[in-house]
Amino acid sequence: MRQVFQGIGASRGSALGRARVRLAHALVIAEEHIAASAVEAELERLHAAISKVRTDMHALRDRLHGALAHEVGEFLDLHTLLLDDPELLHGLDALIRTGRYSADYALRLQRDRIAGVFQAMDDPYFRSRLDDIDQVIGRIHAALHRHDAGLQGVAGEILVTDSIAPAELVQYQAQGVIAIVTAGGSTLSHSAILARSLHLPLVVDAAQALQRINDGDALIVDGGSGLVVLEPGPSDLRAHRERGRGHVRERRALNRLRSEPTRTLDGTDIQLYANAESREDVAEAHALGASGVGLYRTEFLFLQRFELPDEDEQFRIYRDVVLGMSGRPVTIRTLDLGADKADRTGLALRDEPNPALGLRGVRLSLSRRDLLETQLRALLRASGYGPVRVLVPMVTTREEVRTVRELLKQVARDLRSQGHEIAEHVPLGAMIEVPAAAIALSDFIGSVDFLSIGTNDLVQYLLAADRNNEALGDLYTPLHPAVLRVLRYVMLLARKHDKPIAVCGEMAGDPLFAPLLLALGLTEFSLHPGTLLEVRRRIRECDLAGLRQRAPELLRARDRAGIEAWLADCACLPG
Amino acid sequence: MIERELTVSNRLGLHARATAKLVQLLSPFQSSVTLAAKGREINAKSIMGVMLLAAGQGTQVKLRVEGNDETEAADAITALFERRFDEDG
Repeated sequence: MRQVFQGIGASRGSALGRARVRLAHALVIAEEHIAASAVEAELERLHAAISKVRTDMHALRDRLHGALAHEVGEFLDLHTLLLDDPELLHGLDALIRTGRYSADYALRLQRDRIAGVFQAMDDPYFRSRLDDIDQVIGRIHAALHRHDAGLQGVAGEILVTDSIAPAELVQYQAQGVIAIVTAGGSTLSHSAILARSLHLPLVVDAAQALQRINDGDALIVDGGSGLVVLEPGPSDLRAHRERGRGHVRERRALNRLRSEPTRTLDGTDIQLYANAESREDVAEAHALGASGVGLYRTEFLFLQRFELPDEDEQFRIYRDVVLGMSGRPVTIRTLDLGADKADRTGLALRDEPNPALGLRGVRLSLSRRDLLETQLRALLRASGYGPVRVLVPMVTTREEVRTVRELLKQVARDLRSQGHEIAEHVPLGAMIEVPAAAIALSDFIGSVDFLSIGTNDLVQYLLAADRNNEALGDLYTPLHPAVLRVLRYVMLLARKHDKPIAVCGEMAGDPLFAPLLLALGLTEFSLHPGTLLEVRRRIRECDLAGLRQRAPELLRARDRAGIEAWLADCACLPG
Repeated sequence: MIERELTVSNRLGLHARATAKLVQLLSPFQSSVTLAAKGREINAKSIMGVMLLAAGQGTQVKLRVEGNDETEAADAITALFERRFDEDG
């Protein structure tokens, strides 16, 4: 029967496919015994499932290429070794043979046994390896129930799940998942940001959908409106096709803007820089006529692998980004990881009760100088190939900036004396995302060459609202007067000191916010290439002088409703 | 049977990649190989086993190899430990 669930659209695109329901780590299997005569058949069933998983993993490995192969390949290798693990296999065989358990229940018993030992470990790095074992056991369990031999993994299916981690998202897309629906989540979670960058339709906050949808149900997911339709009817199918056609038409119209300048109606050129994390993003940024890369995230070099990338490996990747932009500036952000994201990195960070306020960003880099020095060396070596800027995340104090500056100078001296060709001047910038840095900016603005406002974190810290907390959905918004006042203050100060300033948060990539940011004085946006043309189109419709005249009115708004009214008013302005 | 004391001296300890290297190195050998540390003895040919050892940098482990190719196997493992699992740190 047709049913419609309303979630929140987090990554646009319309998908039609069969549902695959997954509950994270919920291997709930009742105790199940088998007859002595069924033991051999059960063992055979288990081993058939294991070899199916092995074949699938090899096939997945072969399909991956480029950056993705590098990122995902390493943990696939680990998973392949786990599949062949004599202890795991003997344990399962013994449970089936002597315990007369079904293969499913044996898997669960074995998993629980292993989990007990892992969970008792002190070291968070080793403890978190249980995730790998869970994933392997989960795959075997799924294979046990895949009687349909024609079904290959989850290719072409829509994943319906309680929540999804960024690393899983990459992996599922590589396996062919065409859309994802989550019961929780928010449009600003890291997974949502990643989904948009991967053009993978994502609907979040659709708790009802998870309760009602079963494996194999036909679904239409619209990542734009957030609608999930179960067992769609003829009109839903028409709407889906229409969205597909509309998407093609819109892309065509937008594509005409590829070679157009980002010029306001009254003739001011606005710079659109790209946020990038892969070679594909960089190629797209170049093709769309971005002014450069405004934020190259380096976390992706560290995630989903078990060891830190060395200097040469980093250098080659940064150099490729620089070469990929053929002379346009590339802003590379130093490692921006915290305890919440570090469990698959070989960094072995201590678990923290409050990772958002913990050892992260430049704090982590300064506590692990070797890490920072390696990264700065690689960055500076890349500067020999084109303009590079270094951006430091999570700056809180003046000392942090000055320490990084000193280290940068020293590393430059070392590299020159070792005969490396590096740029004469590599600008150093600070991310403004900690409220203290925004408020005390006048004290250290002289120590930086440029600034970039990370609105995602700035909003989270200013409003003391976790952007991943579903219960706070309405509270977490950049449309709070305090956010606008801080943005205004930082932009005015930057202009006074003649420092280039960009906004690189999600806000900059949303055409809806463009008039607001222009009114506050912004002239540099850094955004994901996926929405660059939409933002360019919006800016080309704006009268900059008119918007700036209306800034005081915007800053007088006393609440979200007032700011939204201002925005709605701007949207109606002629042109 | 051969018994040796080895020290985990690479910076990251017996983390995933080092563990994978050890298990792959051992797979062609016939001998049974165990590692013992912190009161736990595990099958060194099992990646899960080695991960369960949770041996960080500086951990002392006792190697025990038994079988017809025990000398070669023990030497190969000792060399891997001495090369710090081919890490630079």
